[in-house]
Amino acid sequence: MENMTVVETNGLTKRYGNGVLAVDSVEMSVRRGEVYGFLGPNGAGKTTTLRMLVGLIRPSSGTATVAGYPPGDPAGMARIGSLVEAPGFYPYMSGRENLKVVADFASVNHKRVEEVLDIVELTSRAGRKFGTYSTGMKQRLGVAAALLKDPELLILDEPTSGLDPQGMAEMRKLIKDIGQGNRTVLLSSHLLTEVEQICDRVGVISRGKLVTQSTVQELLGEEGVLVRAQPVDHAYELLASMFGSAVVSRQDGAIRLQTDPAGSVEINSRLVAAGIGVSELRPFERSLEEAFFQLTGEKQGS
Amino acid sequence: MIATIKGEWRKNRFRPAFLVSSGIIGAIVVLVYGVNWYQALHPAAGDRQVSLLTLYPDQFVNSVMGAGFPLGAAMAIVLGALIAGSEYSWGTMKTTLTQGPGRLTTWFGRVVVFAAWMAILTLILFAIGAAASVVVASFEGHAIAWPAAIDIAKGIGAIWLVFAVNGAIGLALGVLIRNSAAALGVGLIYVLAVEILAVGFIDSLNGGAYRWIGNLFVGQNATALLQSFTSPAFGRSLAPSIGAEQAVLVLAAYFAGLVIVAAALIRQRDVT
Repeated sequence: MENMTVVETNGLTKRYGNGVLAVDSVEMSVRRGEVYGFLGPNGAGKTTTLRMLVGLIRPSSGTATVAGYPPGDPAGMARIGSLVEAPGFYPYMSGRENLKVVADFASVNHKRVEEVLDIVELTSRAGRKFGTYSTGMKQRLGVAAALLKDPELLILDEPTSGLDPQGMAEMRKLIKDIGQGNRTVLLSSHLLTEVEQICDRVGVISRGKLVTQSTVQELLGEEGVLVRAQPVDHAYELLASMFGSAVVSRQDGAIRLQTDPAGSVEINSRLVAAGIGVSELRPFERSLEEAFFQLTGEKQGS
Repeated sequence: MIATIKGEWRKNRFRPAFLVSSGIIGAIVVLVYGVNWYQALHPAAGDRQVSLLTLYPDQFVNSVMGAGFPLGAAMAIVLGALIAGSEYSWGTMKTTLTQGPGRLTTWFGRVVVFAAWMAILTLILFAIGAAASVVVASFEGHAIAWPAAIDIAKGIGAIWLVFAVNGAIGLALGVLIRNSAAALGVGLIYVLAVEILAVGFIDSLNGGAYRWIGNLFVGQNATALLQSFTSPAFGRSLAPSIGAEQAVLVLAAYFAGLVIVAAALIRQRDVT
């Protein structure tokens, strides 16, 4: 049976010479065919981890298996496409010629260059020198280079970084398209909405540690019901007696119930029957932002 | 290795630095021939005596040696520093190292293509020197006769070795410093000032007792090798203290040593 795990790390750690612990015992597992979001604030250790996975940085301790091989192994690298941090190309050469250089290094037929230019919609501007490209075009060329090997694993490090809103939307659509089928995409980002929109599973890293790894849905937590009612104290007491105080909490003047939203009709009628005025009653879902800040211990808006 | 050589050649074949250097090396040869021709015809114009006989085709190998060091060598250092250092500043090091070939394969492919470019520059130097000597001979009504093929081959080999060794200094500095501008600055200061001062100081110690140490420096050996290409047409000259064979061995050892040290750095260090 084919191995379902494309990336597996065990205690992956990087401590730099100056004593800075950039990545601390990361245990990551990326499954075949999924789009995996590697989420964390700037400086959390995302890029260092990805650099270790593609063999650019040696771990201080721990191991990793990427596409079936240790990081940096030529056999494994032949199956991985990557764009780590800003795309690096020769500014005096055209986008097309740059891709041909990369194709030569990767032993890929030059016919593939035109195919990937088409995928990233850069064909019409492929003759221009890379040094004249906009940030969005540079990112697209970087993705095109990563696709040259038609890789089973695509590692993209903050691919929407520096793009304007339209460019970000286009890049996200491109990544979604690329991630169709059996290809695995490992995407790092500090943008919660991006991960929510694109990814199947997510790993959250904070201060070098992987604090959780789950599906986006699991991370968002159980569904609930949000109630705004007056008088609020009376409503709280009634709901606590109905569902138990463990699942009822107060938040910004509203009441939050960890219960199936299908019971909203019953909740409403009981509140109204008790003479409580209900101004809002709706299904409630924890935002990824909330989950993220809860997990990382970061303060919202800080 | 073939894949990395193909990639390195593709990115360097039209690289402005190499194209400009080709033009500069050609211009230097033309300038040297032009100035020497003028001084040979107008001996009162300067205090340096130049014989027209040195400018004819049979002496062209000896004549072009003057362009090898320090001018050609300085250019080779600049090129080496640019080729190696810019890979870091442009972020292309990570692009190439994540394609499949290992770090050492990528590095040696780069060295092979760089050495090939040094050979191209050497051939341009010789071709323009030969053409300039034919022009002088034609204008002066002198018969056109060429040096023996083996002498031309030795001359090409000598200049290539001097270019390659100095280029390797630039390459190694580019890898060490990971920045082209700083690497070429350090390289030029070393070859044009530090080494000359160091050799002068060492040679002056204890009545020249440590001259053998000074004779181990790149510049001394490059100069000795190039000066070994001379003939009676150039007048009397002092015999260099380093033999041509020894100079070739020392320079070859420098080339190999610098390439290996840089390879070790590339293999060991993180690419950040």
